[in-house]
Amino acid sequence: MSNSYHMPVLPKPDAKKVTINVDGRDVEVPEGTNLVEALKSIGIATPHFCYHPDLPVAGNCRQCMVETDGPRGMGLAIACYTPVRAGMKVATDLSSEKVKTARKAVMEFQLANHPLDCPICDKAGECSLQDNYMSAGGHTSRMREDIGKLYKGAPEHRHLDAKGQERGGKHLDLGPNVVLDQERCILCDRCVRFMRDVAGSEQLYIAGRGDHAFLSTFPGSELDHEYDLNVTDVCPVGALTGKHFRFRQRVWNLVSTPSIDPTDSLGANITVDHHEGQAWRIMPRRNPEVNRSWIHNETRLAYRKLSENRLAAGLFGKSEVPLPQAASRLGELVRGARKLALVASGHLTLEDNAAILALAQFLGSRAEVFGGSWLAAGKPDNIARSGDPVPNRLGLKLLGIADNLDELTRRAKEFDVLVVAGHDLWKIAPSRAKALEAIPERIVLSSWHDDSVSKATLSVGVRAWAEVRGTMVNCQGRVQMLQAAPILPSPDLEPVWQILSSAGRLGWTSELDAFRFAQGRIPALAGLTYRTIGPMGRILEGVVA
Amino acid sequence: MATLTVTQNFGKGASDLSVYRSLGGYSSLGPRLFDLSQFELIDLVTRSGLRGRGGAGFPTGMKWSFVPRGSGKPVYLVVNADEGEPGTFKDHVLMLEDPHRLIEGMIICGWALGVRSAYIYVRGEFLPAIETLNRALKQAYDAGLLGENIQGTGYSLDIYVHRGAGAYICGEETALINSLEGYKGQPRLKPPFPAVSGAWASPTCVNNVETLMALPWILENGPAAYQALGTPKSGGTKVFSVSGDVKRPGVYEVPMGTPLMELLEGKDLCQGIVGELKGVIPGGSSSPVLTAEEARKANLDYEALAALKTMLGSGAVIAFNTTRDVVGMLASLTRFYAHESCGQCTPCREGTGYADRILKGVVARKGRDGDLEHMLDLAANFSNTTICPLASADAWPIENFIGKFRPEFEKAVAANPGHAAPRLDDDFRPGAFW
Repeated sequence: MSNSYHMPVLPKPDAKKVTINVDGRDVEVPEGTNLVEALKSIGIATPHFCYHPDLPVAGNCRQCMVETDGPRGMGLAIACYTPVRAGMKVATDLSSEKVKTARKAVMEFQLANHPLDCPICDKAGECSLQDNYMSAGGHTSRMREDIGKLYKGAPEHRHLDAKGQERGGKHLDLGPNVVLDQERCILCDRCVRFMRDVAGSEQLYIAGRGDHAFLSTFPGSELDHEYDLNVTDVCPVGALTGKHFRFRQRVWNLVSTPSIDPTDSLGANITVDHHEGQAWRIMPRRNPEVNRSWIHNETRLAYRKLSENRLAAGLFGKSEVPLPQAASRLGELVRGARKLALVASGHLTLEDNAAILALAQFLGSRAEVFGGSWLAAGKPDNIARSGDPVPNRLGLKLLGIADNLDELTRRAKEFDVLVVAGHDLWKIAPSRAKALEAIPERIVLSSWHDDSVSKATLSVGVRAWAEVRGTMVNCQGRVQMLQAAPILPSPDLEPVWQILSSAGRLGWTSELDAFRFAQGRIPALAGLTYRTIGPMGRILEGVVA
Repeated sequence: MATLTVTQNFGKGASDLSVYRSLGGYSSLGPRLFDLSQFELIDLVTRSGLRGRGGAGFPTGMKWSFVPRGSGKPVYLVVNADEGEPGTFKDHVLMLEDPHRLIEGMIICGWALGVRSAYIYVRGEFLPAIETLNRALKQAYDAGLLGENIQGTGYSLDIYVHRGAGAYICGEETALINSLEGYKGQPRLKPPFPAVSGAWASPTCVNNVETLMALPWILENGPAAYQALGTPKSGGTKVFSVSGDVKRPGVYEVPMGTPLMELLEGKDLCQGIVGELKGVIPGGSSSPVLTAEEARKANLDYEALAALKTMLGSGAVIAFNTTRDVVGMLASLTRFYAHESCGQCTPCREGTGYADRILKGVVARKGRDGDLEHMLDLAANFSNTTICPLASADAWPIENFIGKFRPEFEKAVAANPGHAAPRLDDDFRPGAFW
């Protein structure tokens, strides 16, 4: 709304602690943060709508009010814009009747013009309005039927603007990805701030004023940005919904499995939300050091590929065989190879690549490992992408695998067996990959019916990124965990490391064995376990200057 | 005739530079001003007891002293001429009648704060005033009173007129600054206050038209003389715009502390009430209303009106007689605030509209028992919980009109034959669920 720009000060892990008095108890909280974060750090949740830790503070929803001491005694203040001061007194709804009343009143105002259409609203189940009503509202409606709501979704609100674009009304198409249900909007302006201050492309604004204000795109233009689906996450109510997920699933059915962005080397933290064996959406998982709360639209839509065109069996040439048969054939070919080329991939976890190295070690001089990618790295956008489409490129480098695919194509004739895992070489660079067809036995381990599978003599279906447990190292040198979501298209699918372990008789029984092998190759991983890596990942010391 | 400090040139054609000069105008732009240091000038204004005339009554000298020196950023002076409070029209007349006095006041303030660029933010509807100001500015520039090196003193000041786009909320200083910068006119979170970080994130002083127009007189006659005109705590004179049921509505300047009834009945002033006085809104639509009885006790200064739990505000006195329908009056006020809420904070955005819809129902003979309590409860809930005081400005009239004229409101509710009927949906609305 203005040039005044106040990013919330968030608690840093090493922040100095100061003592404040909350509800009569002296507690230690990080210095300098706002009260929402400070109270959160001692386990008190403050209801709020407009506050978001990764957006400038707007202070307009007024839901987060607490009482603080000032020159005129205790008075109401919004927690999101009140910084912690040593020795300050704070009263929350736990001790202050005034705070309770004020929050309840704000809740009543929020709902004054909000429809009660939760049963058909996509946000129901993860809606701030529902949550905050339960914690801070709980009033019985006093709204009389003949006073009525200012119902912005009514058909009479639908109109064409000066440039012929449809405005007002229900399920308004804002652009290629996002739909707006005007009547549910509580005008917290989070989406406006996201587009302006994070995406850097002001495409939304709140037009009009008072209770007749409404969210809109600018006349003649639409909401179209590669990060625009994040507005559906920041929307605290069901006003902005993504076309990809709208009406697909009730959110309370979904189970979230934490994972990592498979499309970029920043490794944005995500969750894969699934229900009954199918992934329904990908949501950002907040990591202040990596992607904050944002993910790219391509990342968000990556879940679609998990159920499209999957290779859930083995292929001898073009003829389908059961997976176990394909896997044992792979083992025979690998063990019987005269000269084996193994292609490691930055699209696979450290564990999978460790298995490739272990297999090469087992075969000794008969096997050679190649790696790297033909995909070029682009520029970082400073939101949630580094521009490099190979998520584990750094991990590959740390394992000591050189970027030498071109050497492989040059020396293709030396080999009689090729094993390519998790890497669609023929799709990325068909002309360069053509040289590999000189190798008589081409084995491809892939999750999809991709171009490489069509060129392979033996294909083995493997688990995709969302279905494996493992680790990747992002471009910051941060090792991060992927967890396996139970969404396998076929129960026989195994991860790459397991197939290769069987092929090389490595005897690995879990990804931990593979991780231990990787630890042997990467000194910086020493001492880490899956537990200590944790959901936020761990920076590997000395990996990135 | 009382001493006039602001309106003495009314009706003399002072919008023309030569007339203004012949009346003694711009006489302060000499050693009287430029021999003073910034601190001496601010101290002089502080001693004069001048308080902001826009509504809040904040001491002007103190406001100026908050502007930081040597911050490395330019200091801006913004004149708040976005006069939009219902009943207020003094600034419009002041700018029409005596624009050069405003310019002179701005030069004085500019000198006190080291301002290089100043803006007059004029309400968009005030086209005649904007034209007058622009003509006056051109004359002043041509006469070397503005621009580079004013009268060879080395001090330079440029003044720009900015036309508002018609939002009441832009009278709030941070909303005004947003609007001036080209953003949507919505109040900003405070702190930082404009004195530290205002227009273009630079120190900014926002003053009302009338405040600045009092400066030439103060400089000419000294702070003590100005202070002596009013009461000890409210110095000087105040311009009132009187409307409603008085014989001669208009803009009047009286010393602070003048009894309200003298303003309404004085021979040189409004000359009496039409009909029988029922109540007075003393300081613009948002100030709590006074009953006739209270009005007879009221003196026009900040402290006396605060003692009556109302306020001097912008000096917009609206008197009404016994023939007026207070329910309809309040309904038009709530409609105004619901229309002018900027839509930023939830309680104000939703609350002002909600209260307005309830009162609309009462006016349309659809009121129900409990509506008044509901409105009062809403008003209590949306006041003092928002960024700016607009919601409170709606709550005060609601609380005071209903509180002081309750029987009439109850009569309006009772006009609905079914006023006691239970809520239609009471029996099928399970309280525990919805």
